Amino acid sequence: MNFFQVIFRGLWRRPVRTGLTVLGIAIGIAAVVALVGMASGYEKSVVDQLDTIGIDVVVSNMQGGIMPKAFDEPVRDAIASMPGVAEANATLMQMLSVEDAPMMVVYGREWDSFTWDQLKVIDGRLPRDAQENAVVLGKLAAEVLGKKTGDPIQIETGEFVVTGIVDGKSVLENGAINLSLPRFQEVSGYEGRANFVNVRVPEGTPAERVEALCREIETAHPGLRAVRATEVVGTSQGFRMAQAMSWSTSLLALIVGILGVMNTMLMSVFERKHEIGILLALGWSRARIMSLILCESAAMGFLGGVVGVALGAMTLAILEQTPYVRGFLEPDLGWPLALQAVLIAVAVGVVSGLYPAWRSSRLSPSTALQG
Amino acid sequence: MPDPEKPDGEIVYEVSALTKEFDDGRVAALRGVDLRIRQGEFVSVVGPSGCGKTTLLNMLGLLDRPTGGTLRFRGRELSALGDPAAYRARDIGFIFQSFHLLPNFTIEENVQMPMFGLPGTPRERRTRAVELLEAVGLGHRLDHLPLKLSGGERQRAAIARSLANKPAILLADEPTGNLDSKNSAHVMEILLRLREEHRVTLVMVTHDQELARHGTRTVRIKDGQVVSGE
Repeated sequence: MNFFQVIFRGLWRRPVRTGLTVLGIAIGIAAVVALVGMASGYEKSVVDQLDTIGIDVVVSNMQGGIMPKAFDEPVRDAIASMPGVAEANATLMQMLSVEDAPMMVVYGREWDSFTWDQLKVIDGRLPRDAQENAVVLGKLAAEVLGKKTGDPIQIETGEFVVTGIVDGKSVLENGAINLSLPRFQEVSGYEGRANFVNVRVPEGTPAERVEALCREIETAHPGLRAVRATEVVGTSQGFRMAQAMSWSTSLLALIVGILGVMNTMLMSVFERKHEIGILLALGWSRARIMSLILCESAAMGFLGGVVGVALGAMTLAILEQTPYVRGFLEPDLGWPLALQAVLIAVAVGVVSGLYPAWRSSRLSPSTALQG
Repeated sequence: MPDPEKPDGEIVYEVSALTKEFDDGRVAALRGVDLRIRQGEFVSVVGPSGCGKTTLLNMLGLLDRPTGGTLRFRGRELSALGDPAAYRARDIGFIFQSFHLLPNFTIEENVQMPMFGLPGTPRERRTRAVELLEAVGLGHRLDHLPLKLSGGERQRAAIARSLANKPAILLADEPTGNLDSKNSAHVMEILLRLREEHRVTLVMVTHDQELARHGTRTVRIKDGQVVSGE
């Protein structure tokens, strides 16, 4: 018999209680995995999208909160004429309920702009011109809406026809509905307005120059924010809010987990007073008794972590299929997050076991032997 | 090695004016006990219920701390020890009236428990536990949980456990107190045999005068004081 078997036997003496405690931690860890996985999935989706389209600088007005506020479209021309800008185009992006789908990303893209370039047509065709009553669906969007080429589609006040299905090579692009900017402005009541200007700089422009260009754009257009594509997610208020919410919810779940394990371990120490007395009488040191209790709670944390990661992965897989998530992001559960979650769970176990372990070490053997 | 029947070895315990009070001094369990125990002795501690026999044994094993007086083990003051785990693991073996076996561990695992306090591999611990259990006639019950054994068998397992770390001293508190006369005699016979084989000093608390006669010396306690056999 080794020390680990003693730990295991300690946990196994009350399998239901141990199981419920492990489940408590597991739910907390599943919340961490699901929320953080969603947040980092969103981050990855945005980065992928910008990378795929080949945008270097994104100009927007984030004063509106999560959705950028619309501004006058001619701002794009002013930006396009700035030194160091190779190309600039305007986009109007809205999140709308489209037919039966509760929320879809709809892009009004400038006709002939580079934002159409990466859309690979897998069925049908792209719109012929900026005025055609046509929309192109990302392949995920087509799946969510149940549409195929040639089907009619209602967007806000306009009736359109799906002319093509495209592969946009990123989740956000594949989950989006695309139409020409003027048609979308018309049906959404945003005539002459846009909420993004996408900027490309000449190839080989050093990062410092791009950074300087961002500051120049912001000086020339007060109220607008210009951010390098690689920093869009990190500086986005909405993303930071989502991240803060995911971590604070996770923290609450973990506190509940800590209290659960602490309660279990305290009960276990009180119940096992007699056993602890025997072990002390047999020559076990107080440090060994403390490490037994700490290892038991850490083991519960570890088990809770492993089960929690599995539950979290299942939750993410289910969420991925819901209409609210599908097409917006691809939850990101990698080994680093799984490992981080298990380590957090073990830490929860250790922290929860500290007080019960200390209590156990204070027991007098003669009193403890009396039970 | 000293001859157990001729206990003229070194002094292992030197107890002087030992007191133990409970309840903020309102209850005195020991009132100035003086006692010397030599290597190889078998000391029977007798006296009426509540006279302080078990308290004295607990003091010797440092299961409890004295309120006053001195308690030396091989010349070393015991009450100065911070955590007496090493002393209990290396030098002492306990046998209790209620056996005090861990219910969720087999008797073989129970015998291994004291060995966690000293260096050794799991294989060594198991080999030693099996040897000891065979020596008390429980070689065929290694994988039994304590609850599946009779009282006599449980106490035999507890005796095997007390010898796990080859201690110099066995402290036995009414080892046959929970047994019928047949089991009681059997357990006592094993205890005496193992005491001789392992050449340990045995301090046994008992209220049974017949059992006390097995000792090389009988110490009588009354009202927390040694009245004879000191």
